[in-house]
Amino acid sequence: MTADRVGPAQAARLLLEVSTAGGTAACATLVGGPEGHEVGARIVRSRAADRSPATTRGSLGSAPLDAAAVEALDRLIADPRGRDGLHAVQPSDPASAATGAGEASGGTPFELYLEVRRPLRELVVVGAGHIAQPMAHLGALLGYRVTVLDDRPDFATRERFPDADRLVRADFGDPFADVPLHERSHLLLVTRGHKYDYECLVRALRTDPAPAYIGMIGSRRRVRATYVQLVEEGFEADALARIHAPVGLDIGAETPEEIAVAVAAELILLARGGSGVPLREVERVAERFFTPQDSDP
Amino acid sequence: MTHEDDRALAEALIEARRAGRACALATIVSTRGSTPRKVGARMVVDPDRGLVGTVGGGCGEAEVIESARRVLQSGRPERVRVELTEDFTTWSPAVCGGVMDVFVERVDPADPAGG
Repeated sequence: MTADRVGPAQAARLLLEVSTAGGTAACATLVGGPEGHEVGARIVRSRAADRSPATTRGSLGSAPLDAAAVEALDRLIADPRGRDGLHAVQPSDPASAATGAGEASGGTPFELYLEVRRPLRELVVVGAGHIAQPMAHLGALLGYRVTVLDDRPDFATRERFPDADRLVRADFGDPFADVPLHERSHLLLVTRGHKYDYECLVRALRTDPAPAYIGMIGSRRRVRATYVQLVEEGFEADALARIHAPVGLDIGAETPEEIAVAVAAELILLARGGSGVPLREVERVAERFFTPQDSDP
Repeated sequence: MTHEDDRALAEALIEARRAGRACALATIVSTRGSTPRKVGARMVVDPDRGLVGTVGGGCGEAEVIESARRVLQSGRPERVRVELTEDFTTWSPAVCGGVMDVFVERVDPADPAGG
């Protein structure tokens, strides 16, 4: 553990650098606590993509408080559903008792603001056709690092995909040779032929670690045919359950742009945990208003 | 905060530091009820450039900017509780129904930006 000071600008930059490089970093900021402690002090834990031991930068001003913060940060890093927020450390906690602040302050807890930045999410669009264009655009808008992949170099071009991060020419027989997939990869299969979609799908299902999302375009009939073939090839129900096909939320999408919006909505739903139901149906504000016994307290 | 928001924010802080300016950083650290932005949303108040990012706009943001002004002067961080619970019929923008806590701190040009 180092005793160097990490300021807000340095912390912001550290978190950005680590997550861009595929690692996870978390920062604790002291935002409240007993008198005599430096509010605004920060401590940062970083874990690189190669899973080498985590490193620590900065300090909250005392070794026991730092130890409590590091413990909380490591828990946050390890929990994929962990969210940014406040975390109280009681001065009576064994870890912080040694600061001596507990008695003097009458037990005012330390308040830490914890935040985490996970590896940059990737959207890999396989096939550079008419759905890929709005999809790449929306993906970039939602903060994904977008890769567009096709075997036809004149389709995966900068003119057609101005906001894609990477344009890759790939053989659909071995599509991910130059695009390593990981837990933060979101894959959309929209090649020009279902034969290619199928080949890429099989590759994606065999990837370890598994991608976060595998979506494949196709009608009910085509999806069913795909599943039949997968089962013949020895894939089990759990593998099939990982495929999002037909792809996207049911919003009646028809045009390539609408389909891209439906897929984007599905990606948001998976990331945020919504229901996919119109909020009007979820909240039923009007019904609650006109039916007093069902109204909010 | 998306990756792009993070990047814009880090760049704003680094630019201010290069120019030798102090600025204020506001972070939503907790919310209750409905608020326009959620925990983690950030805003830089740079006296020369204005605002980078947002903590929700409207009256609530105005309170945060007011705090930023004080923090820039004193150097002492503040916790601002912003109540967005005004009556709907006032037509105020602050009718979301929620409360948020915003941590406001000064970022000094002497703050090491690393690297």
